[in-house]
Amino acid sequence: MFKNYLKSAFRNIIRNKFYSILNILGLSIGLIAAIFILLFNSSELSYDKHHEKHKRIHRLESDFTISNKHDLFAVTSAPLGPAFKIEFPEVEEFVRFAGSDGILIKYNDKEFYEDDLYYTDSTIFDVFTHEFVYGTPENALTEPNTCVLTETLAKKYFENENPVGKVISDADDVNFKVTGVIKDLPESSHLKFRGVFSINTLVERFGRERMNSLEPGAFWNVNFYTYILLNENSNIESIYEKFPGFYEKYMKSLGDQINASFEFMSTPLADIHLTSTLRSDLPTGKKAYVFIFTLIAIFILLIASINYMNMATARSSNRTKEVGIRKVLGAVRFQLIRQFLTESVILALIALIIAIASVYLLLPDFNQLAGKNLVFGFNQTPMIIFWIFIITLITGLLSGSYPAFYLSSFMPVKVLKGKINTGAKSGWLRRILVVFQFIISIAMIIGTIVVSNQLNFMRTKDLGFEKENILVVGLQDTSLRKKLPTFREELLQNPNIINATTSNGYPGQMGGIIVMRVEKLEKISENTELTDTIKNTQNTDSTTFHTGSRMVEHALNFTMLDYDYIDTYKMEIIKGRNFDKEMGTDLEEGVIINEAAAKELGWGDEPIGKKIDFGVNLDGTAARYTKVIGVVKDFNYNSLHNKIDPILFFLSERPRDVLSIRIDEKNRQKALEFIEEKWYEFGAINPFDYDFVDKTLDEMYEAEDNIGRIFRIASVLSIFIALLGLLGLSSFIAEQRSKEIGIRKVLGASVSSIIIKLFKEFIVLIIVAFVIAAPLAWWGLNDWLSTSFIYYIGIGWLTFVIAALLAIIIGLATTSFHIIKAANANPVDAIKCE
Amino acid sequence: MIKTVNLTKIFRTDEVETTALNEVSFEVSKGEFVAIMGPSGCGKSTLLNILGLLDNPSGGEYFFLDKEVAGFSERQRANLRKQNIGFVFQNFNLIDELTVFENVELPLIYLGKSSAERKKRVEEVLEQMQIVHRKKHFPLQLSGGQQQRVAVARAVIANPSLILADEPTGNLDSSHGEEVMNLLTDLNTNGTTIIMVTHSQRDAGYSRRIIQLFDGQLITENIKA
Repeated sequence: MFKNYLKSAFRNIIRNKFYSILNILGLSIGLIAAIFILLFNSSELSYDKHHEKHKRIHRLESDFTISNKHDLFAVTSAPLGPAFKIEFPEVEEFVRFAGSDGILIKYNDKEFYEDDLYYTDSTIFDVFTHEFVYGTPENALTEPNTCVLTETLAKKYFENENPVGKVISDADDVNFKVTGVIKDLPESSHLKFRGVFSINTLVERFGRERMNSLEPGAFWNVNFYTYILLNENSNIESIYEKFPGFYEKYMKSLGDQINASFEFMSTPLADIHLTSTLRSDLPTGKKAYVFIFTLIAIFILLIASINYMNMATARSSNRTKEVGIRKVLGAVRFQLIRQFLTESVILALIALIIAIASVYLLLPDFNQLAGKNLVFGFNQTPMIIFWIFIITLITGLLSGSYPAFYLSSFMPVKVLKGKINTGAKSGWLRRILVVFQFIISIAMIIGTIVVSNQLNFMRTKDLGFEKENILVVGLQDTSLRKKLPTFREELLQNPNIINATTSNGYPGQMGGIIVMRVEKLEKISENTELTDTIKNTQNTDSTTFHTGSRMVEHALNFTMLDYDYIDTYKMEIIKGRNFDKEMGTDLEEGVIINEAAAKELGWGDEPIGKKIDFGVNLDGTAARYTKVIGVVKDFNYNSLHNKIDPILFFLSERPRDVLSIRIDEKNRQKALEFIEEKWYEFGAINPFDYDFVDKTLDEMYEAEDNIGRIFRIASVLSIFIALLGLLGLSSFIAEQRSKEIGIRKVLGASVSSIIIKLFKEFIVLIIVAFVIAAPLAWWGLNDWLSTSFIYYIGIGWLTFVIAALLAIIIGLATTSFHIIKAANANPVDAIKCE
Repeated sequence: MIKTVNLTKIFRTDEVETTALNEVSFEVSKGEFVAIMGPSGCGKSTLLNILGLLDNPSGGEYFFLDKEVAGFSERQRANLRKQNIGFVFQNFNLIDELTVFENVELPLIYLGKSSAERKKRVEEVLEQMQIVHRKKHFPLQLSGGQQQRVAVARAVIANPSLILADEPTGNLDSSHGEEVMNLLTDLNTNGTTIIMVTHSQRDAGYSRRIIQLFDGQLITENIKA
């Protein structure tokens, strides 16, 4: 029996080539999209699960409250991990990572700058699972100045040699002995290091007191990613319960002094990638995107399934005879349903084969598109193949379900007598399905337009400074840094170099946060005792108040820079003045703040002259007692996902490690060549390795960029599949209505009037779809914009007009072929053949 | 074998009610060859559909093999039908996507016969119908007469006790028509009951009894000598 189903299924597919190709093409594209999205999502959801103990590993994080303001960090202080292990029996082990980028590594004549290197505790291999290629985990990082490299990094310096026991060195000629080589970290690791150095190196360099101290001061300075491994049968909750005691013991004394408090937070290892939104975190994914992509995959498959349903029921008149005969010969309905479902499943399986082959071919392109490194195959991803097979079966069954139940319901007597007008009966359903397809397609078009508008907006928004034509280069090289003033003078001799400045950060990578003391204005009633405050009396209406001020602690972002920073970046001073070399006091006593700072500190329109104590020591003294000399217009020093936080500029007494150079746009290449020449002329040993600021800023929108691209492709695909359906449907309708068209023409209808009449029927469907899609899309996209960005575009009516027109134009273009053909046909043929 | 008592069939659309069969009563015994005649629209095909268990009457009784079947469900009718009745249609009603062999095999599949048994039986019947050389062809590659022979083969494949033929020669030229009628006569000679609807006096001549219908009513029954 089944063989018979297969036979007639294959013959039907072959006999109706046009419709079969449309269906298989649509289903294949749908499945290709589904496979890619499945690969993407399963990679997103699999982060860090390759560590055997991942269920027991938690990352510790920091929640500081300073002056009633919360600041959440993905990093913790150095002693938090060790102190947790001492105090909480639940903690079996801890490991800390302190990251360093742009480190120069030298071995023999090879030297490169390397990113993603970390100083880490030797316990790393007890907590995490890493496979050793050379060496063993035991004692791998216990000694100072030892390191473990990943395979790729090891190959880069040692090629195919076993590097264990060999020595590499850094820019300061500090030596590191290689004690092991591990396999490269899987793509799905939230912390992707290329090499780890023993943390004891730092202990040796900076002193035991500073690195391993459990003094209160050490707990308030965060720069380590800290992971703890819990004992079996322990849970993190019991640590939360006991934490107040811990705080009391180690941290409270200093916290009270600086008017701050601290809570620890934690995230299970496997959740970090998709949930973290903390400051100083590594790049993460977003749960929302996993959700959106899943939805897109389902939609695309639905559109393809609907195509099948539509075409199958539309052509049902051709199948009714077969149904009738089979029924007469004794087939019961159930058997017919099985037969039709077999047919649709076979079609889906053919599509699956095409889809799998296409995914193999397209995977490199997709990886580039999604910024991933995914693999696909029967051996590599058997579960995904299994699931895609299940999805294919479901798609096949879903596609076939309506035609199967519908066709099998025909009464044999009626169909054999040709009494059933199948086309008209299912016409309404077909219309609804087409409308549904277009709802999805139009929503996708709107989505594509909005996402790309937002991306464009982010790239072109006035950031408060000119990001174009500034290059930044690291000055790790102390010898060059010492000669910087002359180096800068030499550079500026060249007309293609406009300005240059050094600082310890640049837009995109700016601002460390630190507790300062700032002047706080207060209205205090007359009889309050004011000690230690500055008083002046002022009459407000009839009541007399002292408007006093006192110094309070406040955590604020700051950057160290030189006199030329604001000019080089072309920022705007809106109050007061820029730093001035002529004013000898600016170095020690001047600070420039941004508008947001003036607002947050409650200084209203008169921020100039307000006091800020910088570098506050535990004994209450400060390194600098400064006053505000100027206010810079707010500028986006972080990505547009974040609002502009207060930031303070202090002059640095010596050149800092980031050199920013503004060059002439017209002669970029000449300028670059000139700088490079001078760079080596001044004896720099490090390679001239620069970035452009605008490019670095763009990289902050990589996630959105990927989303935008995937959206664009998904909407093109869904529209394409929907159009395949429309093509099939228009061909069917033109065929079915050839008699009506013939009669109309005999009665005097013109070709154009018939074309218009048929077009109208399709346009109505598209318009109905638009009316439903537009508000849905508006709502969804507004939600996305307002939750993902602080600065975002409004969704204008033009977007909707473009989407509607686009849908109508491509809809008409698709249907026009068959409609025009039908309208131009000789009416005699149509009438005669009935 | 077959007995109808006051068989009535009324078709209703929203506004119009048409009486296709009006209290038709007659009997057919095992082994008979009966022709039903009458002008277009007199209810011949409706009667044949009810006799063939493809449709239910609106009123009256229908005894098939001594069982009252007028109220049977579709599934019950399908069961009874596939075991006992073979059909031959004016327009052959072969499935275009299946080969000659597969078309003839179909009823056996629905009867759940094994593949080997089916193969043997189909070969046998195709042989008998002298169409075995065409078994791998598709219906559209055959002449009308050949197609109808395939249809007859399919009708007899399951050894039904009753064959219902609806204008079996209507789409055939006279020589092909004669061939088909001879086939039916042979079957009848071997004991199969045949009820045939026809317009053609000549075809009716092959039968032993003619039932005349007019406007849904039975007018005459001629038994030939």
